[in-house]
Amino acid sequence: MLKIILPTAMLLPMALLSPPKTMWMNTTTYSLLIALISLQWLTPSYYPSKNLTLWTGIDQISTPLLALSCWFLPLMILASQGHLQHEPHTRKRTFISALIIIQPFIMLAFSATELILFYIAFEATLIPTLILITRWGNQPERLSAGIYLLFYTLISSLPLLIAILFLHSKTGTLHLPILKLTPPNPTTQWSNLVSNLALLVAFMVKAPLYGLHLWLPKAHVEAPIAGSMLLAALLLKLGGYGIMRITLLMGPSSSHLCYPFLTLALWGALMTSSICLRQTDLKSLIAYSSVSHMGLVIAASMIQTHWSFSGAMILMISHGLTSSMLFCLANTNYERTHSRILILTRGLQPLLPLMSTWWLLANMTNMALPPTTNLMAELTIMVSLFNWSFPTIILTGTATLLTASYTLYMLLSTQRGTLPTHITSTPNSNTREHLLMTLHIIPLLALILKPELISGTPL
Amino acid sequence: MNPHAKLIISLSLITGTTITISSNHWIMAWTGLEINTLAIIPLISKSHHPRAIEASIKYFLTQSAASALILFSSMINAWSTGQWDITQLNNPVSCLMMTMAIAIKLGLAPFHFWFPEVLQGSSLTTALLLSTLMKLPPTILLLLTSQSLNPSLLTLLAISSAVLGGWMGLNQTQTRKILAFSSISHLGWMIVIIIYNPKLTLLTFIIYTTLTSAVFLSLNQSKILKLSTMLISWTKTPMLNATLMLTLLSLAGLPPLTGFMPKWLIIQELTKQEMTPTATIITLLSLLGLFFYLRLAYHSTITLPPNTSNHMKLWYTNKTPNTSTAILTTLSTLLLPLSPLIITMT
Repeated sequence: MLKIILPTAMLLPMALLSPPKTMWMNTTTYSLLIALISLQWLTPSYYPSKNLTLWTGIDQISTPLLALSCWFLPLMILASQGHLQHEPHTRKRTFISALIIIQPFIMLAFSATELILFYIAFEATLIPTLILITRWGNQPERLSAGIYLLFYTLISSLPLLIAILFLHSKTGTLHLPILKLTPPNPTTQWSNLVSNLALLVAFMVKAPLYGLHLWLPKAHVEAPIAGSMLLAALLLKLGGYGIMRITLLMGPSSSHLCYPFLTLALWGALMTSSICLRQTDLKSLIAYSSVSHMGLVIAASMIQTHWSFSGAMILMISHGLTSSMLFCLANTNYERTHSRILILTRGLQPLLPLMSTWWLLANMTNMALPPTTNLMAELTIMVSLFNWSFPTIILTGTATLLTASYTLYMLLSTQRGTLPTHITSTPNSNTREHLLMTLHIIPLLALILKPELISGTPL
Repeated sequence: MNPHAKLIISLSLITGTTITISSNHWIMAWTGLEINTLAIIPLISKSHHPRAIEASIKYFLTQSAASALILFSSMINAWSTGQWDITQLNNPVSCLMMTMAIAIKLGLAPFHFWFPEVLQGSSLTTALLLSTLMKLPPTILLLLTSQSLNPSLLTLLAISSAVLGGWMGLNQTQTRKILAFSSISHLGWMIVIIIYNPKLTLLTFIIYTTLTSAVFLSLNQSKILKLSTMLISWTKTPMLNATLMLTLLSLAGLPPLTGFMPKWLIIQELTKQEMTPTATIITLLSLLGLFFYLRLAYHSTITLPPNTSNHMKLWYTNKTPNTSTAILTTLSTLLLPLSPLIITMT
């Protein structure tokens, strides 16, 4: 564990000390190197958790997410070069350091086996994210987006802290492998219900569940590209990961508790897909599509079967890569036209033909076309939900249909049709952007061949 | 100020505090409190401004009333039990009066009205003294008598301080008043735990002192008295403003920073004592405070350009921040990983 976390922490002095000319190159190469080394976590193992220490340990659920989070640091650095190029040098440095500071905390959160360490790392990602959004966003509304982000997260996660400490005073330990072995504590029905609710809601807000999701589109719209990638690819997954960890602990009494969450998640998948259909803002559309996909993840991790857990894992990884790629594409458009409005950025295919290939591929994966991993995930989740209760097929089926239609709408409206008259000249797409898209799409395509790497057979 | 007067004042501040915190006789404790009060008054009224004079009068009246109340209640205790020992406060009437007197001294919620006004009237360094050093002797008295005080009364005082400190700080634009209300709500956190784990109160006090000194000294560096001055202060000291933001978020108690440690330990102690509802209430009330800390943080560094402000930019002065600010800022952001060591030390 430390052999990845320590180099990641040492990225910070590197970013602060390397000479201005080579700063981007140094940080990108070094973090890409870390990402490559982190891939060795994916090697299958006989034991339930690898590298188990007192504080950290990685098992089948956390491994894919850890590799994903290592993979995303170079991509975020690569993506932010464009919009930072006119900033003074010290600001570029502080931006990169803000990106780097988040990384060890995310890795700690994914690998912690102690609940309080998990909580601290989970919350520690908040301040750098807040700085990314409110300092480097573009519009004055970013301040209210920051307030939304902070208060939604904290109102839900302070009860989580109390519930964790309550659990500690009842069971005497917060070590996850031991907690799994201890029987559910014999408290009253009422306090059990409240503490389970407090344990779940923080992750439901982070994931986000429909109804608790209002901070997410705001944050996505206002954030710079690195912030959007971070939110879509990693921070939302922190919510899904937390739900999977906590539901394993809660025991059988949670069966009644899961009904409201399941209903909201499935209904939310439907509702947010229909919101996407009438969206005018490109980034907001992608953000709502994230909410809809994470709704499926929440539903799958609430019913706690093997199939649903593997479906949720595959969906989290492939959605992380897909939505982050969509945000990058939206950002390339934004850097050229300075607008996120769909009506103003139409018909870009003749101007940026190779970009439109990337758009096609990203949208194909987003609408879960065969043979992508997104399709495997959605099928697994739908089958396990169908097995749990027949009527869910109506909701999940409609949501899939709507997903396909809004993705098609997004593809057609940005790429096809006539060019609006106000776009007279755009800069060409450059190699950096193509590299960025390639690094997104390669893992997606490669995972089709070996999806069991990310399917995470749970314990 | 005359250096001799300054010397005498600072010596008597130290002497008064030491006498109070080391005494076990009520008369000596009272003497120390009085010495402290008399020593700080010239510091408050130093600037001969009407607001400063008003502040010193307000401070004098409340503090002397509270001291008289302390003397009175200890006398009643001595009358009924025949001893002057601080730790043997057994008479219920004197317990009640003592709680009230110390609440006035500290500025706990129903008796807090003097505190923001006095802070607003004094300079930033004096305000720092008022909200840290001057609160140490009453806190110690409360610690010494804590086992005989009424738990539900103290919890009520604590929660009302957390409510009022958070709520009334929301619509302030003066940094000293905001910090005064922040001090009131932090006092609420200290008082809520005092019955169950007095050492934790002391730890919270020390951490709060570190954090708030860092904030006050950083503000003093660029003479920030209002939010609008704060908005343009980044031209003077850009780096200090960036760290000021982190210090403010630490004061709000966000997790990877030092300010989270006392909150974590207090919540843990409260849940251990079967007081989960109280813990939930006081934790959610800290979000009120977070709102104004966040606004201060926004003003300090986040609303830099590309936003334009209507205020005139200040000149960049090449004044290096002093070492104590640097040390305190570092301590107030990075201490959380050391918390096991700190717990065993207190």
